[in-house]
Amino acid sequence: MALDRSAGRLARCIRCTRHERTLPIRTFTTTAPSRLETQETQASSEPPPPPAGATTDAPKPRLRDPNTVSTRAAEQQLIQHQRITPVGSRRRRAAIASTSNIPFSELPYQCFQEARAVLQADRKQKLEHIRVQRERIERFKAKDVAPQDEAHKEKKVADMRRRLEEQKILADINDPVVKRKFEDGEGDLNKPIYRLLADRQWRSYRRTLLLQRITQMNVVPDVLPAIDPVVSTALSFAGKRVQHGDFVDSRMSELAPSLQIQPYDKGKRLYTVVVVNPDVPNVQKDAFDYRCHFLASNIEISPTDTRVRLGLLGEEGQVILPWLPAYGQKGAPYQRMSMFVLEQAKSEGGGEFQTIDVAAVKAGGKYTQRHGFNLRSFVDKHLLKPVGVDLFRTKWDEGTAGVMQRAGIVGWDVEFKRKRVEPLPYKRMDSVRYR
Amino acid sequence: MIKAPSTSLLRAFSPLWRAESVPWVARGCIAQQVHFSTAEQRMARKKGMGPKTDMRITLIRYHLQHPLTPRPLRFSRTRALRHWTIHRAWRLYQNKLRLTRQLELERQYNSMNAACEALRLMDGDGLTQEERSKLGAEIEGSNDMGRLYRIAMKKDDGVRADAVGKGVPIEYARIQTETPPRDGWNSAWTR
Repeated sequence: MALDRSAGRLARCIRCTRHERTLPIRTFTTTAPSRLETQETQASSEPPPPPAGATTDAPKPRLRDPNTVSTRAAEQQLIQHQRITPVGSRRRRAAIASTSNIPFSELPYQCFQEARAVLQADRKQKLEHIRVQRERIERFKAKDVAPQDEAHKEKKVADMRRRLEEQKILADINDPVVKRKFEDGEGDLNKPIYRLLADRQWRSYRRTLLLQRITQMNVVPDVLPAIDPVVSTALSFAGKRVQHGDFVDSRMSELAPSLQIQPYDKGKRLYTVVVVNPDVPNVQKDAFDYRCHFLASNIEISPTDTRVRLGLLGEEGQVILPWLPAYGQKGAPYQRMSMFVLEQAKSEGGGEFQTIDVAAVKAGGKYTQRHGFNLRSFVDKHLLKPVGVDLFRTKWDEGTAGVMQRAGIVGWDVEFKRKRVEPLPYKRMDSVRYR
Repeated sequence: MIKAPSTSLLRAFSPLWRAESVPWVARGCIAQQVHFSTAEQRMARKKGMGPKTDMRITLIRYHLQHPLTPRPLRFSRTRALRHWTIHRAWRLYQNKLRLTRQLELERQYNSMNAACEALRLMDGDGLTQEERSKLGAEIEGSNDMGRLYRIAMKKDDGVRADAVGKGVPIEYARIQTETPPRDGWNSAWTR
């Protein structure tokens, strides 16, 4: 280009930062810079005189930003004078210090910006599809239909709504900002895309692990015939997290735990939580019985409101059997404490979740017996659907006796022993065989 | 005075004359070639001596000679997100292309299918049965109903584009031209 060859280095892009600039930038202005400065100094008030009697202090060390210190000396100064540690790696801090604060979506990489343009165009199309689908649903709902076809119409509306949810997710799934927000844990679980990403993340590892533990420990089919976990659970005793299948000290499980139930579909719903011990030894039968350690219904959970403190649930409307500490008697093998999250039935058409009449259940008497509690019968009677499961284990340790005494459980001083099996009599055969 | 012969050919093909056309970035590459001897050039080597190697070429060479190929890259957070965005956009674009091609093929197939179906229901006069009855013309025997359809479905004679069955590949066909004629020049032709 003629301009490049004849103009020389100085006339190249003034704003370009790639080349070193030997002379300072001179832009076109008619007023001299000095004139502007004098105007400003006249306009501003005079600085206040230093307070009388003030001694001249040593110059204050300058305040450093923990996000941009990159030299060792600067880091030391930050720690000593400001008592803050630097944030992130040194490479990251040097990068932040040397680059300007461009938001991610405006980074000047051609391929990236072209990709963004393609994705924006696609998102526009998807939003249009969403709008059209919404109109379709409204128009279809407004149609009059013969009473025998009502069920078919309801099903079709539900299918159209499901398609609408899919389309909402398709509009956001290619957005890097959404991906980053989710990875940083800032996703709002009221939005379908974040719920989908959270569900995917849970299913990729933690759900597989949970199923492995549940299957290996034979929780299923011992307590319930089958389970397909749809909500994720997180159990903690006294603030300490318990992994699926962990042994929990009897003193820790003396008080009711805190359970976080995370559903991945929208809306509020009512859950029932049951804790069943299927390993209660029965010496007469030479087998094991069930015992229910906790039973509560009508617990309201939503994707954003997930925490249940089992000890703080209401006695009248929610708790049927209050928390009984987990205990394993001496000599018995470890006891599995399985926790089930059961979704309460929906009333037909209305979509409201049915509450379980706790008073009626208590009065009924069948499900108020802890020993011999049959969870399968309870589930069938109240039309519950198992959606979540968790597990922890207990065994005899130093605190179990104390826990059992404080809870008023009979048998803290009982020890189980193995029955001696008489060996078969040894019969010596004819001496020809033995040499 | 004998004029020296032109060295243009020599310049073009002789390796000795080629060194000038190497770009300045690749100069270190030439210097990094294998030596005549296969023994390691370790003895009596002074530090700092030797040709100035270009670090970028070294790095590219290491990248290409990694035991794991393609070499696994380690990206920073924003770099990884940009890569993911570009990948999603490219896959989206490729899927859209694939879909349009697929729909175009489907459209062509359906058009051919419709044409064959129309032929199947057509008789020698180009009418279907219902058209005949509508016009009130006589309904003849249906021996030539769908004749052209049956001819079109034959796969074992004549020249075909896909040459299935006993068909002859279309490349063997003679393209219709004005000249030369198939029968050649008839010298005995009179009016």
